Amino acid sequence: MIAAATDAIPFGPGALVFIGLYLLSMIWIGWLGMRARQENTLRDHFIGGQGVGFFVLLLTLFATQYSGNTILGFSGKAYRIGFAWLTCVHFMTAIVVTYLLFAPKLFKLAKQHAFVTPTDYLSHRFNHRGLNLLATLIMVAALSNFFLAQLTAMGRVVEGLTTLPPEIAFVWGVVVLAGIMLVYETMGGFRAVAWTDVIQGGVLALGFAVLLVLIFKEYGSMEQTTRTLLKIAPEKVLPPKAPEVRSWISYIFLLGVGAALYPQAIQRIYAAKSAKTLRKSLALMAFMPLGTALIAVLAGVTAAAHLAGELKGAGSDAVLGVMLRHIQEQSALGYGVVVLIFAAVLGAIMSTADSSLLSISSMVTKDLYAGFIRPNAGQATLTRFGKWISTVFMIALAALAVWLNNSGTKLTLVELLEMKFDMLLQLAPAFMIAIHWKGMRAGPVFAGMLIGLIFALSFFWVPAKGDGFLTMLKNSGFHPGLYALLLNIVIGVVGSWIANARSKA
Amino acid sequence: MTREHSYLSWRIWAVYAVLFGIAVPWYWPAEDARMWLGFPLWAVVSIVGSFGISCFTAWLFVKRWPTDDDGEDEA
Repeated sequence: MIAAATDAIPFGPGALVFIGLYLLSMIWIGWLGMRARQENTLRDHFIGGQGVGFFVLLLTLFATQYSGNTILGFSGKAYRIGFAWLTCVHFMTAIVVTYLLFAPKLFKLAKQHAFVTPTDYLSHRFNHRGLNLLATLIMVAALSNFFLAQLTAMGRVVEGLTTLPPEIAFVWGVVVLAGIMLVYETMGGFRAVAWTDVIQGGVLALGFAVLLVLIFKEYGSMEQTTRTLLKIAPEKVLPPKAPEVRSWISYIFLLGVGAALYPQAIQRIYAAKSAKTLRKSLALMAFMPLGTALIAVLAGVTAAAHLAGELKGAGSDAVLGVMLRHIQEQSALGYGVVVLIFAAVLGAIMSTADSSLLSISSMVTKDLYAGFIRPNAGQATLTRFGKWISTVFMIALAALAVWLNNSGTKLTLVELLEMKFDMLLQLAPAFMIAIHWKGMRAGPVFAGMLIGLIFALSFFWVPAKGDGFLTMLKNSGFHPGLYALLLNIVIGVVGSWIANARSKA
Repeated sequence: MTREHSYLSWRIWAVYAVLFGIAVPWYWPAEDARMWLGFPLWAVVSIVGSFGISCFTAWLFVKRWPTDDDGEDEA
């Protein structure tokens, strides 16, 4: 919900030229990526061949993990609930902590067996077609939702840049930005995505740093902000109460584990040039939430104190835009930095969207098409097919984003997909337990994943009021995916123990 | 000398339990309005806890990565 924000940011010709050049530079990078291609293979297109070095890996991990939602959504949520949204700093850190559980072994296996997709690992570990299919469908579904959200964000950002009616500006935003992304991604594959991430991640980091300075310069010290907030909305300053603490813990587990299992994140583990590159990048990633999510919280809290009541409900995600308008009106320098922050938001959205699309394309091509339909297809044919899949997914989801925006409809399917972390969490035993425990069997892992998935999604239909056991769980403050994961682990582990005991007997 | 996958050691996860136990503000009185450096005191402690988690995690990645992978570092 950036519309209200961007309504207020009319950019002049200079700013639009800057944004235009910024976007064109991405196509140029896509062309460079195409020139750097070493062979016409899936691994070269989707992983970048032998992989990328420290600098590129760090920035592609950063730009991919921090989406437009990190800046806009996190500041909006902090505007609504205050300091209690500091939980976002912890769950973003927890994602990196979770990598400890599987990244070292997964990286090693990926190098030994030239993995391209996350399902390649599952196939290597379990050799179970049902498991491959289920895991791939979970990942494609979760990523499609994520990609749809980024496409919608593209439309919203552009809505306020032009004098066109919002619906038309939205369509132009989606078509132009998604089109640019498709061009550079189709040309250069992973290299183009990772190299554009260097620019997008760099601008994003700079944008956060500038935002931090602007908050204090424009709105005064943190002490003033906290004291004001304590008077007008003390609940946004005081320590969280028990239900909120349960929500903190739930978010830390749900996002910490779920987001670490995003396919594009796993593919970045594969894409590291060496173990040293990967471990140095992940070490620095551990500090990123303090320079990003924390700043977004400070921005939201500052707005809650100084712009109280200006925005309500979902529209409060536009709070950053309102702050930027205030800053822009102050001086020419303010105008310049607002353009920079706008570019950072654009970069955050596009860098997350392009890696999601590439990941979807890789899984549909390698795990579904080559895995189930044409197992004997050559590498060049599959790479060409992968590019077509990117195009088809892009057009279909862009059309869906525009239709959803115009109709104002919320589809049940889309709402279900919003439970993406509850879904992704069900992959955890297959990746995090089975990679260490050789006794974990394919059948129980598959059964645990399937039952966990059904159990998690079934909460969508559980009534919010009543005395039932499931209603009690739904209202407990913990996400359904966590209960489903417990069930999933019990089925996978106990089932494997029984199967192992039987085979010994 | 090779180092086993020490990330699974219970000691490491006990340290994480303590650090997250500090960072998650479950133990603060509901009406505690004390401030430090312009922030609510509980928020400062939570952020310091988060910084502790980041430092510990970075240290584990840099210094405790299973060493049987190190051969690939120079590849």
